[in-house]
This record gives sequence, C-alpha cells and structure tokens, in this order.
Amino acid sequence: MSEIVLKTENVFKIFAMSKRKIPALVGVNLQVNKGEFAAIMGPSGSGKTTLLNVLGCLDKPTSGRVILDGVDVSKLPEKELYKIRRNKIGFVFQTFNLLPYLSAVENVELPMECTRRSKSERRKRARELLAIVGLSGREEHRPQRLSAGEQQRVSIARSLANDPAIILADEPTGNLDTQNKYEIVRLLASLNIKQKTTIVMVTHDSHVASHTERMLFLRDGKIVNEKQGLHLAKKKLSCPYCGNKIQPNEEKCSACGKALLNTEEVSI
Amino acid sequence: MRALLVIVALGFSMAIMVSVPAGIVANQQATQNLTANFNKTVSNMQEEINKTLTLIECRLSSGSTQEMSPSGPMRPPGSGTESYMNESILTDFQSTEGVKDIVPILQKSEGTNETVERFGRTFTFLRPDYTIIGVPLNSSLINSYSILPTNITDGRNLQGGDSGVVLLSENNTAYFGVGVGEKVTIRGVEFTVVGIHSSSDFMENRNLYMNISDAQAISNLTGKISRIEVYTESSDVVDEVASRLSLLYPELSITTYKDRLKQLQSMQSMYTETLSSAQSTVDQTQAIATQEIGIAVVATCLITLFVMLYTVRERTREIGTLKAIGFSGWNVMSQFMAEGIVISFAAGLVGILIGIIGAPILSGFLLPHINLFGGSPQSSFRLGRQTTNVGSATVASAAPNLQIMLLALGLAVLLGALGSLYPAWRASRTRPAEAMRYE
Repeated sequence: MSEIVLKTENVFKIFAMSKRKIPALVGVNLQVNKGEFAAIMGPSGSGKTTLLNVLGCLDKPTSGRVILDGVDVSKLPEKELYKIRRNKIGFVFQTFNLLPYLSAVENVELPMECTRRSKSERRKRARELLAIVGLSGREEHRPQRLSAGEQQRVSIARSLANDPAIILADEPTGNLDTQNKYEIVRLLASLNIKQKTTIVMVTHDSHVASHTERMLFLRDGKIVNEKQGLHLAKKKLSCPYCGNKIQPNEEKCSACGKALLNTEEVSI
Repeated sequence: MRALLVIVALGFSMAIMVSVPAGIVANQQATQNLTANFNKTVSNMQEEINKTLTLIECRLSSGSTQEMSPSGPMRPPGSGTESYMNESILTDFQSTEGVKDIVPILQKSEGTNETVERFGRTFTFLRPDYTIIGVPLNSSLINSYSILPTNITDGRNLQGGDSGVVLLSENNTAYFGVGVGEKVTIRGVEFTVVGIHSSSDFMENRNLYMNISDAQAISNLTGKISRIEVYTESSDVVDEVASRLSLLYPELSITTYKDRLKQLQSMQSMYTETLSSAQSTVDQTQAIATQEIGIAVVATCLITLFVMLYTVRERTREIGTLKAIGFSGWNVMSQFMAEGIVISFAAGLVGILIGIIGAPILSGFLLPHINLFGGSPQSSFRLGRQTTNVGSATVASAAPNLQIMLLALGLAVLLGALGSLYPAWRASRTRPAEAMRYE
C-alpha cells in the first residue's frame, strides 16, 4: 500500500451569498497516493476549482477534514497555512499568474524568497528547475517575451521550487492552444514519471485527462465516478522507434538506444 | 509609468514642504539682517548727532541773490547754491557770543549746461562733472568736526596744512582718469592726488576736496566763500546763537542740526515701525506656512493612501498568487509598505529637486511678500556730510538648505509608510481564494 499524500473526509463547502446558501462541495471523499497523477474532471460549476482551493489551503472547508502529508489542514489558522502552502503545495494556474515585472528565473525564485536558502542557492535551484521544464537560456526573459506555453512552463518550475509534497494544477492547459496543451500535459506526466511528483490536475478536457493515471469525476459537488486513466506516457510501453517493450521509468530504449524522455515521442 | 506620474505629483507636494520652510528661513534671515542694519544705522545716526549737535549752517538764501523768473536759469536740485559771500564776514561771526569755531567752505561745480524744454519753457541745468569743495585744512578743526569725508578707499585723507593736493571721489578718478599719487589738472592748475573717498550719494560722489585757499585761487574767487559752518560752545546755546545770527544777517539762511535731530528721530521711529511690521509679516507668514505645510503633509499622505489602495486593488490577483505560493500576510504587507516607501522616497527626491529649482518661485507664490520701504530696495539718509546706507531690504533668495532637505526626505518616507499602512494591511488580509477569483 503506497503512502497517502492527500485525503479528504466528507468535505463540505457552502458559500453564503447574502441570505442564499450555495453548496459547492457536498461530502467529497478522495485520496491521492504518493507519486500519483490524478485528474479531477467535471462540467462547469461542478465545484472543481473550489475543491482544488480547499485542497490547496487557499480556502477552508465549511466542514470535513483535509489531511495533507499527515497534517489536518482544515483546522489550521492562516498564520500556519501559509507555511503549508509554501512548503507542501505547488500551484499551477490556468492564467499562469507570473509576476510581469520579474524575469523567468526571478519568478521561479519567488516561493523560495521567504525560506532560509541563500540568494545564490535560490538562483541555482531556479536555473535547474527552468532546465527541467526545458527553458534553459530563457532565464532572463520576462513573461511578456515568452509564449503562453513557455509561461506555463515557468509556472510549473515555480510550483516545484520548494519540493512540494503535491502539485495542484487548476486547468493548466485551459489557456493554451492544442500544440502547447499536449506539451504541458506531457511535461507534467514526465515530471510525474521522472521526479515522482504527485500531481492533482483539474481539467474538463478528456484528452488532457487521459494522460493521467486516475480520473475523478465531480458533479454537483460530489465525486460521482472514478476511472482508470490511460497515463499515455506511462502505460503504453512500446518504443515509438523500434516497437520494443520498455519499462515505465526508462529514459532510453534498451533496443535502439533513443531517448524516451520526451513524452511526445512515446506513442500509443 | 503610473508610478512616475505619482512620484511627480507627490514631488510637487514635497516641494511645498521643502520650499516653504526655505522661504521662512530666508525671510527670517532678511529680517535679521535688516534689524542688524537698522541698529547700526541708528547708532551711526547717534554718533553723527553727537558730532553735529552744535552745528549751525549759514548760507546765502537763494532768493536774496537770485531772481527767480519763469524763463530764468534754474539750479539743478542738490548742486548747492553757487552764490558767494565775502570772507570778511567771518570776523564778525567769530566775535558773536556763543560761537566756538567757524568753518568757511567754498563750493564750485564744474559741468555742462543742459537745456531742457518743458511746459513750453526753457530750463537750463548744470549737470556737474565734479564739484570742488574747499575746506580750511586746520588740524584742530579737522579733528573736532566732521568736515572731510570719512570713507577713504585708497591713499589717505587730507591733513592739516595740506596744500596743492586733492582728495578725489571714486567718480572723480574715473572722470579724470588718475589714481593716488598721480597728478591731476583742475582748472589749469596741477594737484597731487593723495586719496580717494567713496560715497553712494550721487552728489557727494562728485565732490573733490582741497584746501580752501587753493580752491579760491583756481576758481578766481579769492576772498569768497559759499557757506559757513558755525559750531557753538554747547548744544544748549545753538538755538540762541542761531536766532542771534539770523537777526544780524537776515540775508542768510540759517539751519541748525537740531531740526535735523527731529527729522532723525522721526526717521528712527519710521524704521522701528517698518521693522515691527516686517516682523509681524514674518509671523503671519509663519502661520500661513504652517497651514500650507500641514495641507501638503495631509495631501501627501492621502495621495499615497489612494494610490496604494488602487495598486492593491489592481494587483489583487498578484497578491492572491503570492499568498498561494507561500507568502505570509506579513511578507505581502512588507512588500507593499516597501513599495509605498520607495515611491514616496523617490517623490521626496523629486520634491527636493523641484524645491531647489523652484523654491524662490514657489515660496514667493505661497508666502505673502515682505515689502519694506514701499518696495524700494535701498534706503539711505544723509546727515551732515555722511551718507549712511540702511542696507538691503530685499528678501534673500529662498534656497532650501541641507537640513530642510534631509528633514523633508525623512518626512517623505514617514508619510509614505503612513499612507501605505492601511492598503498594505488590506493586501495582507486578502484571502487567496477570493483574490484568485477577482478579475
């Protein structure tokens, strides 16, 4: 049994709009294991974003428990929550939310700003992360000089900065064209494979969701269904060049020796 | 770009804080200088009074020798009466009761006659190039009374027994083109220049001094004098002697310096009044300036407040992002506080810059003007032969000093911090989930 990173128990979230009460989450129970790549799917208004906000300690549930990395965060005060957000959670947003006046590398450094790491350490780590997401050489560029896909890569690098226990991605491909959409989801998939990063992604795009291992279907504030994802990058275990069988975590094809790292290359 | 505009706007506010105190300091200094000058002047006056208290001046009244006719020649004002009496009168003066010393003086102006037509009449003026003043160079007279000019800028003053020498004024040296020790020819006779005196008075600056006998000789006025200065034995008998002289010589115009004393006293009181009104203006100015600075302070604070509130509103998503990636409320707050302080610090620098360039204009615009002597920048009075300047009464230029600048900069930072306190606190309290929803 693998280790549980995230677990919710009967989570309710009810918004009070003047006198009307709007229930957004009505008893959500879910569980995410370490190293998992899960997608939360559902139509608009089903409570996807609310759930993610609750999971990411941006919002408190009205009732129920959220246990993150062994800590019940649903009862923590704000002055403790920011530490959880800083150290345990990495956020990836639909609109990237990079600071426009900071360069790519400075944006990635931002979450480390309030940690004990030294300036040079932070810079080194940020450069490494940018290399991982494939943006070496673009460190000094500002967001406006980067394409949407590149901006999302910076945002992913930023979410990894403090080695979080979990990455929460809210529609990470929502603002991207088809080409960039697949690049980003493959990047997330490869991070999941190579770095064993736990990722929970909210999306309403089934093509994107099919890259994950598990799909949770949310409707009217409840998880109504759960499906096995295809995890295209992981499950289709044949080399696109020679058709040889490969292992999920292999970086090179043992038969033809070609690199398999780029998830793009691994076809169904 | 917006930050720049805000900095400039705040800068003007800061400039007021810089230049208004500068204006006040300048005004205070001007008043202080003025007070010092006044006090000096008043003591000079007193000294003059003491020296000339026993003086009676006698000259031919112009009416007695000169017929004033509409088309007749008129004398330029201040050139002195160029009509002469015989030296023989002096012996009678000397024997008059109460008289201690008499000083005969010969005055002869040289210049060109200028004709001016005005009101359909023709006036002829003598525009003097120089005026010869002949005085008796007798040591005891020179030492006891103020006969000779006192402000010697080069060489020496005339001494008892000097003859064939001349004391020129600065204007004379320019006119003749000679300096100390050189020879100068006056009315065909050569003199040696022993010294140069200076005066700000127009007429006095054209006077050259020499021995009266030399003056009589070169002017073809042997045995003639222009006026007599009579010194009485004490100041108590001045009036008595003056009335006695006027009885004896009705054709003479007789002036005592006791009259001048009255003039002097009224001048003194005028000066005192001016000074106190200047002081009250300065006080008023200070009150107005305090208000203005107060308004500027409040304005700066409010501008910072609104700008930062707007910034916080505008950057709600950014704040949400920062909180989502692990910034604490305190981190966010200090971020915005720092921003407000940096902006107001920059504004302070801009304000100082504007202040340095525009302080005289700004403070002139913002503070009431201190008008002394009805706007005439300089005032002088003449007593006896001495001309005393009452100093410059113009307000010194209001350049802000370093102390004010540093103070203003400190104030800028303080106000920036104060103004951004509430917006920064609001930012720190923003709930990330709501902030992320905010468009």
